[in-house]
Amino acid sequence: MDARTEAPTRKPRRRRARDLPAKLGAIVLILIFGACLGSLPWTAAPVGFSDDQSAGSVPRYNAGSPADARLPPNWFPDKENGEQFSALGTDHLGRSLFVRALTGGGISLGIGLAAAFIAVGIGTVYGAIAGYAGGPTDAVMMRAVDVLYGLPYILLVVLLAVASDAAIDEYITRSKERASFVYAQTITNPQAPADLTRTAAEAWRDDHPAIAAQIDTAALAAVPPRQVSQTTRSALDVATLFIAIGGVSWLTLARVIRGQVLSLKAQPFIEAARAAGAHPVRIFFRHLLPNLVGPIVIYVTLTVPQAVLQESFLSFLGIGVKPPLPSWGNLAADGLSEVNPYKSHWWLLAVPSALLGITLLALNFVGEGLRERLDPRRAIKDSDT
Amino acid sequence: MPDPILSINNLSISFANPEGERTHAVRDVSLDLTPAKTTAVVGESGSGKSVTALSVLRLLQSPPARYEAGSILFTNNKSDPPADLLALSEADIRAIRGNDIAMIFQEPMTSLNPVIPIGSQITESIRLHRPVSPKQANALALAALKDVGIDRGPAALKSYPHEFSGGMRQRVMIAIALACEPRVLIADEPTTALDVTIQAQVLDLINNLRTQRDLAVMLITHDLGLVAEHADHVTVMYKGRVVEQGPIRAILDTPIHPYTRGLLDAAPAIDRKARRLTTIADATAADRTLTANGSTRTAWWPGDTGPAPELIDITPGHRVLVQTHQAPQPA
Repeated sequence: MDARTEAPTRKPRRRRARDLPAKLGAIVLILIFGACLGSLPWTAAPVGFSDDQSAGSVPRYNAGSPADARLPPNWFPDKENGEQFSALGTDHLGRSLFVRALTGGGISLGIGLAAAFIAVGIGTVYGAIAGYAGGPTDAVMMRAVDVLYGLPYILLVVLLAVASDAAIDEYITRSKERASFVYAQTITNPQAPADLTRTAAEAWRDDHPAIAAQIDTAALAAVPPRQVSQTTRSALDVATLFIAIGGVSWLTLARVIRGQVLSLKAQPFIEAARAAGAHPVRIFFRHLLPNLVGPIVIYVTLTVPQAVLQESFLSFLGIGVKPPLPSWGNLAADGLSEVNPYKSHWWLLAVPSALLGITLLALNFVGEGLRERLDPRRAIKDSDT
Repeated sequence: MPDPILSINNLSISFANPEGERTHAVRDVSLDLTPAKTTAVVGESGSGKSVTALSVLRLLQSPPARYEAGSILFTNNKSDPPADLLALSEADIRAIRGNDIAMIFQEPMTSLNPVIPIGSQITESIRLHRPVSPKQANALALAALKDVGIDRGPAALKSYPHEFSGGMRQRVMIAIALACEPRVLIADEPTTALDVTIQAQVLDLINNLRTQRDLAVMLITHDLGLVAEHADHVTVMYKGRVVEQGPIRAILDTPIHPYTRGLLDAAPAIDRKARRLTTIADATAADRTLTANGSTRTAWWPGDTGPAPELIDITPGHRVLVQTHQAPQPA
């Protein structure tokens, strides 16, 4: 009677062999994620650099002396000749590529994960609501997705990145806020004619430089630019990138989830839940969402590499992570310019590219493995045999 | 005959297609459910059996479905006046679903959520309708499983649907349906997907619970064998209408409507000489005249024009859908 005693206690050999790439991928991923994210406190810690006291302390990933520029990896240094151990070589500013690759990995993978989570958050909710509501709601919501789909992906990312960059800029410099202040002061100035338009006010200011300068000083005092440290600024830039990439990655997931919800909605167990007197909201959270976990998990493993690639591409174009902050993408971009026929500093290109490649491969293997494991049709086939 | 606990009166339901044209799936259906009795609804595919069943709990998606006319009166307490289920608010009907009126579906393989242990699925309906602690709910769920013959102890609650066979899944469905001790059970082809031996087990189970708990059962099926064995009353539906209804013996022994006769003839019998099975013949041209009583009556058949068809009592309780034509007055 006990169904479990009939279940095979050992997985068939064939299946275990097929799991191998996924397992290897998972191990590689854990190592890389652990190393890159775990070492962030060390690689981003400030270090004083003796050659250039004026610079004060710089983070370790940015510390280096031009004297050590472009040293190849040297694992067995000849100490007597003054050679130093160098795990992965140095770049054109003498910064350790090992440290930069670790930091860059932290940033790239962080962006990948954040983008995946944003995509899952928006995509699941959006798609599930569209599919569950059905009818006109569904039509409107999915046409919006179609429109966004129709726009070139990169264009959207660039627009989002530029727009949020401008917003952050305004937040820091407060130039618009100050302009409004100046305008308000100008039109209330007793010497100025009443009801000036903005352009007329500008013209009037040009004619009265003394008063204009006075107002400007007052404006700077009343609306000073915000003090933002370099670290905060780069953190904001990275956050912008998170949002820009995550903000466009949810479209596919929204479609996938909507489709799943549409087919689940027609399943008899949903009707059975209705017949048991469950509220639609309860049916949604208790009966629909658990059935969506499979596709969501699989999609995450496929979105992370996509976002990492996307970030690399954007950094390569110069709108992603801004130097001196490293990411695998801009490390590779920098490395590309170092490869030349006269003297190839191959490690500068090879190391970030190899890390990127290995990580993406591992993520794809894991994604594929999870897809195999969580595919419901497969599960049914297994339980039938 | 005792008072019905649930009576469907002159129910008409239509569905809209995307162009807005309406199709009448059910017309003028009336039937009663009585405690401790099984009322069978039989008919071919598309005759409106399932639509009628689903409409009792208002489970039809509306739109496209629309309740055109009629009422479904449910008497929960003898002292209370019956409530019209079609007029209740969404919250009130949810309180009745699964609690006073429960339903089991024809697909035991897919009617259970594959990713939730069956224990939680049984306790769900209990906890929706009863103020019980999780522990009490588990105890009730265990008792419900025992009632349907799954006696494997608390471990059974943690099992997933795929660990059960089809018959056991249907038992779990019945356990879920009966966990809240409803007064009415609507079984929409509960055994269609099961093989014959499991069918008998499941129906015996429903029958036992029916007599133990004074349950009114509405059995939707197209299997006349089941009807003969388990039903007390039969309603025969054809093309969205009730064509004949009455006590089981009356329908089986003296079927009057040509469709009922055709249905009974079409059932294979083991004691008859093997021959080609009869099909339901088109009775449009056949003589369908019934007993004349000052007026001519013909059994209604799809496509008939003329007076509106009505159900009339042939013998008390045995009703047939006929058209009454005014006979020319004898000079």
